[in-house]
Amino acid sequence: MDFDDTPDEAAWRASVRAYLERCGPPGDPRAWQAALYDAGFVGVTWPESAGGRGGTPMQQAIVDQEMSRLGLPALINLIGIGMCGPTVIMHGSEEQKQRYLKRLLRADDLWCQLFSEPAAGSDLAALRTRAVRGDDGDWRVSGQKVWTTLAHLADYGILLTRTDPDVPKHRGLTMFVVDLKAPGVTVRPLRQMNGEAHFNEVFFDDVPIPDAERLGEVGDGWTVALTTLMNERLSLGGGGTAIGPKSETVARHVAARIGALGADRQALARQELGRGYVAALGARYTGYRQLSKLSRGELPGPEASAGKLSGTRSARDLADLAVRVLGGDARVATTPDGDGVWQNAQAVMPGMAIAGGSDQVLRNIIGERVLGLPAEPRADKGLTFRESLR
Amino acid sequence: MNFDLDQEHRDLAAAAGEFLAAAGGPAVARAALDGGAPVRPGRAELVKSGYPAITVPESAGGGGGSVLHLAVVAEQAGRVLAGPSLVTYARAAVLLADHPDRLAGLADGSLAVAVADDDGPVLDAAGADTFLALRDGDLVCGPGTVTVRDPIDATRGLGDVALGETVVLARDAEQLWRRGERVGRTVLASEGLGAAARILEIGVEYAKERRTFGRPIGSYQAIKHMLVDVYVAVEQLRSLVWWAAWAADHAPGELPLAAAAAKAAAATTLDQAAEAVIQVHGGIGFTWEHDAHLYWRRAKVDRFLLGDDVAAFDEVARLAMEASS
Repeated sequence: MDFDDTPDEAAWRASVRAYLERCGPPGDPRAWQAALYDAGFVGVTWPESAGGRGGTPMQQAIVDQEMSRLGLPALINLIGIGMCGPTVIMHGSEEQKQRYLKRLLRADDLWCQLFSEPAAGSDLAALRTRAVRGDDGDWRVSGQKVWTTLAHLADYGILLTRTDPDVPKHRGLTMFVVDLKAPGVTVRPLRQMNGEAHFNEVFFDDVPIPDAERLGEVGDGWTVALTTLMNERLSLGGGGTAIGPKSETVARHVAARIGALGADRQALARQELGRGYVAALGARYTGYRQLSKLSRGELPGPEASAGKLSGTRSARDLADLAVRVLGGDARVATTPDGDGVWQNAQAVMPGMAIAGGSDQVLRNIIGERVLGLPAEPRADKGLTFRESLR
Repeated sequence: MNFDLDQEHRDLAAAAGEFLAAAGGPAVARAALDGGAPVRPGRAELVKSGYPAITVPESAGGGGGSVLHLAVVAEQAGRVLAGPSLVTYARAAVLLADHPDRLAGLADGSLAVAVADDDGPVLDAAGADTFLALRDGDLVCGPGTVTVRDPIDATRGLGDVALGETVVLARDAEQLWRRGERVGRTVLASEGLGAAARILEIGVEYAKERRTFGRPIGSYQAIKHMLVDVYVAVEQLRSLVWWAAWAADHAPGELPLAAAAAKAAAATTLDQAAEAVIQVHGGIGFTWEHDAHLYWRRAKVDRFLLGDDVAAFDEVARLAMEASS
């Protein structure tokens, strides 16, 4: 057991740090990502044939740590890098890889993930967006997706569709790469409770998709989607650093204000800080365990979902505490700090407990796949998708 | 970075687990509660195994190992509610580091030590003949009179200690005392980890078998989610215990925060686990015959050892605020 960098890791960290300090904070987010890519710090773990560096998970973690240390924002194409790209690498054709992956890493193209639908969130395999194959072998897609992060900016998406309603729901799905500028695609931003608009409704009205844009086999879309979802949970839960306000930042905020609170409130604030901080530390070091496993070449398992569960919980608690120590100013969005940053952090958190697998669904996954508890009975078991709609 | 146990640790855990399971277990804990039967393995057998003296230098007859080694063994001790506690040996090894004769006595069993804190009944006071305490900033050592009251958990050897004639082992020993406490908190958290992991296993097994309304109760989200919350807490506790043990061995600057975090997490996690698993069992879990209450007793007592969870969370908060200001 050892937390120190190996000599190789230390050299890598030094080069990352030197670069990030030299090139300063980002201006245009796409140009920044392209420059970072050209410097060799994007797609670190991707194979060289996919435009990556063929590096280790630890090298990627070091890039993330150094960016976080300098307070730099996340890369704009994070969903592409963390979820869409790995799915194309694993299931795409050689031609798709050549066409898309390097441009994705340089943010020449932005990507999104078109999975959830109004009637298929947690029960993703219940989705209804139809892809119908024509005589020429190509496809026409109609339906609606929702909660699609970044769709209003994205150039491409990975799209999960139903291609056969007459088999059980998991078996009739097929995945495609879709051009979001294609005719028949309409994107409508949705405004979140914190006032920002990060995600969207996306409508498909008889959108043509060439068969060459299929990812994986016809009817095997569920397998392809699982690749994406596993990478999603890993990137959301990894080290507890990916979600919400940083525990150190909250501690600083509390330290600055705690003297102004009454004695009883000081004691309470310290209890809450202690609890949130212990949870954040637990999530961080559990993330390091996960990272150590990945470094040995083990694949992320269902236990990666635990990181998202606990990371979300501690981030919610810390965001709540940060607002509480504002005192009366907690009631107004514009604080003496001038930016309402903690109210905003608090207002983002309910979404985190839903996005990328709701807390309840993640508990089912861990309960059934890690603890081996029996599955819940499913009313649609053995039915074809068409039958399950009745 | 490699944050995982290596093969040597795993082998140690397996061997210690085998020894401790053969020496004791919940049935022994129940007998101790029922009729005052001795807690097992007991001092003599435990000392003979060599495990409690892992952190004592080889020159004093110990194992010359790390706190992480001891923590790995302590997890196994926690699984079977073994006694006396490795916490006592861990703290004594720190406090006696500059006293080779006494250290050798700890390792060979000729000294039966307990470490006397000032906040109520003392861990492993029962059967101890030598007591270490902090008096006016000095580390003192001497005999004492032990009064055993009716304990919630019979495996902890709790007793009130009235110190007899003591000698001063070290002046201005606050720092040394704190380090002993922090190493002790780390080992205590590891015992809590083992106990919590074991009671969770018991709960999961039962939830797979027990059926109601025509299906296993583990298929109901109400049960499943309760057990998963325990699982998540146990895995976080495991990470904190490893971190604290590593800090004790390699990063003294991180030990205060890590030990407080592990102590706090252990207190709340074992309590959560024991309460949840009794609930999963229904009425059976509330009976004397079932093992659940033995782990529940551990939780209720351990929570108050080496400070309670409130004090530990408070310490975490103060350290975090100090580091950020």
